[in-house]
Amino acid sequence: MPESATGVALNTIEVRYTGGMLALNRLLMTLQNKRMPVAGFTLGGDSDGMRATILLGCPPESALRYTAIICALEDVREARPAETIEMALIETSRDWRAPAEQSGIEAHEDDGTLVASGEPEKIDAFLAALGDGVEDVVRIGPVARPEAGGGV
Amino acid sequence: MENTAFSIEYKPRTGSEAICEALLDEGVEYLFGYPGGAIMPFYHALPDYPLKHILTRHEQAAAHAADGYARATGRVGVCVATSGPGATNLVTGLATAQMDSVPLVAITGQVGRPAMGKDSFQETNVMGMTLPFTKHSFLVEDPDELYPAMRRAFEIARSGRPGTVLVDVPKDVQLAATGDNGYRRLREAPPPVESPGLERAAMLLRNAKRPLILAGHGVTLGSAEMELRLLAERTGIPVVTTLLGISAFPEDHPLYLGWPGMHGQASVNRAIDRSDLLLAVGMRFDDRITGAAHKFAPRAKIIHIDVDPSELGKVIKPTVGIAADAKAAMRSILGHLGNAPDAGEGCEQWREELARSQEPERRRKESARDEYGPIQVMEAIKAAAGPDLRLVTDVGQHQMWAAQFFEFTKANSHITSGGLGTMGFALPAAMGVAFAYPEDPVWVIAGDGGIQMNIQELATIRDFGLNIKVAVLNNGYLGMVRQWQQFFHNRRYSETPITGPDYEQLTCSYGLAGRTISEGDDVEAAVRWAQEQEGCTILDFHIDPEANVYPMIPSGMSVNEMIEEDGA
Repeated sequence: MPESATGVALNTIEVRYTGGMLALNRLLMTLQNKRMPVAGFTLGGDSDGMRATILLGCPPESALRYTAIICALEDVREARPAETIEMALIETSRDWRAPAEQSGIEAHEDDGTLVASGEPEKIDAFLAALGDGVEDVVRIGPVARPEAGGGV
Repeated sequence: MENTAFSIEYKPRTGSEAICEALLDEGVEYLFGYPGGAIMPFYHALPDYPLKHILTRHEQAAAHAADGYARATGRVGVCVATSGPGATNLVTGLATAQMDSVPLVAITGQVGRPAMGKDSFQETNVMGMTLPFTKHSFLVEDPDELYPAMRRAFEIARSGRPGTVLVDVPKDVQLAATGDNGYRRLREAPPPVESPGLERAAMLLRNAKRPLILAGHGVTLGSAEMELRLLAERTGIPVVTTLLGISAFPEDHPLYLGWPGMHGQASVNRAIDRSDLLLAVGMRFDDRITGAAHKFAPRAKIIHIDVDPSELGKVIKPTVGIAADAKAAMRSILGHLGNAPDAGEGCEQWREELARSQEPERRRKESARDEYGPIQVMEAIKAAAGPDLRLVTDVGQHQMWAAQFFEFTKANSHITSGGLGTMGFALPAAMGVAFAYPEDPVWVIAGDGGIQMNIQELATIRDFGLNIKVAVLNNGYLGMVRQWQQFFHNRRYSETPITGPDYEQLTCSYGLAGRTISEGDDVEAAVRWAQEQEGCTILDFHIDPEANVYPMIPSGMSVNEMIEEDGA
């Protein structure tokens, strides 16, 4: 079984902001300027404004400090911890529904490929439950859980 | 027939007028700036308003002057420049202010909206350029947004942890008609400080045997000097300050120890090393203070109070972290201490130990008073200027000597560029201080490197008759760099010898007065002469080219690696 995508502790921060490109520019500059350990960055928008979801590879207390820095930006309406999930693209001929339910992950088939997503430990448990039935797997993530507004 | 007596011509208010009205509504008295193409509509409107514009000779100086004014008064400083090179020249000044949390609003002209993004004449993306060192910035493209943006800029600059705000205004927006002066404050006042950490802090203070208070710039910025003094006196805890915290606590107070760090007093560095509790207020554990952070205050529990929550745990992990304004937090701690009889007991032995540890430094300072050199100059200035002195220092060896050897007794009387360490800061910053406090004696101490970086401001100083006295400690070197070359680069003095003008002749050409002082001359008489002159004078002190600042903790090292003067 492949190792999980990364060994560092990942913390997800969801940032709601207004102000368009200038605000995004300031957010990106702040990430770079304060040397935040960005492991992932997704951007989306909805009627409520823009949303950036940032994965930081650092201890939780550092993530809290970085969240405070982001929170202090004038364009930022809200910055808060968000859930992190992992995705796995799996080739398997075994029945996956029961193990998926037991592991507490979400899964569906897309053109013959099983797309599984959930908390990293639960994905591990799911893959372990499938055992030798896993013919191939690509693990993606961790990534931020998409919510209303979607990701890009 | 038209009755002209009753005809009223409706004249829409322009963007430029909206800027001026916002400045007035914010209580601005002085602006420091330099006109140019893209800011001309603003300068056209300016004479109609009771705002005092100070024409500097360089935009960088305008930013430093606004910075000096803000540091001295606690009010928001304002500088103005045109687009392109005018805006780029502001950059060092904005970064200097932001690094030291100084409230400052910069207004820049921008090319007109139709010309933006087309590499037009004098077009630069000043917002993009200044993003890393502005607290916020506005590019105002809607004329109706100009007044509220200006008001908001001031609110952002002074709220929470103060900082710099840029307002970039395209030329056609300055000319356009604008709407009413609608503005609504967006943020409420900060809530009262309630943190479980405060009670714990009070408990730790009660029980400590070797405590210290480490006060930073946040004490001055938060006007918390009185609370600091009350807390120190209530607990009997000795006070040390950061470089920018100097003058937040009276240095003639028996509880004052000095300041630590790379060039801080050896006894203070050792005190921190031995302390069992450090109450750090309004400071950010700069690397010049901590050296090797993991070896800093190894025996101490740390209580860290700062208005910026992101500072807590950034460098030093505190035992108790309190995100709060220095004034409110210290008041609350005082409340928690109450009248408990044990507060402050038990550290008498510690105070005696600290007093003994400072004796050698006191003796050295006493003996140095009789020798020609920086200490003698400082002593003479102190004596001539009196207790109302406001001292503005540049960056380098002289800055450290001044911080070490002056005795600041007046609150917020020491102004210097700490975080960015900007050479060329002092002369223009002193202009801001002198405008703010025209009755107080204002002295600049600078090196012969830094003074040349904004020497053109002598013209501004002369134009406004500012009573600024300048002492140049002239060693013919970029002295601090030379000192590092001496210690760490085997005396390879690469590009540090530096020449300069004859300052007597230079000041004369600006219509001012100056003198050159060398070993054997009467330092006190020269300083007294300068103090008694009307207007600006420059004293050019030729000092030992290889005089060094001691002690010195090499960068990234600890108090155990401190380099001290022979015989110390």
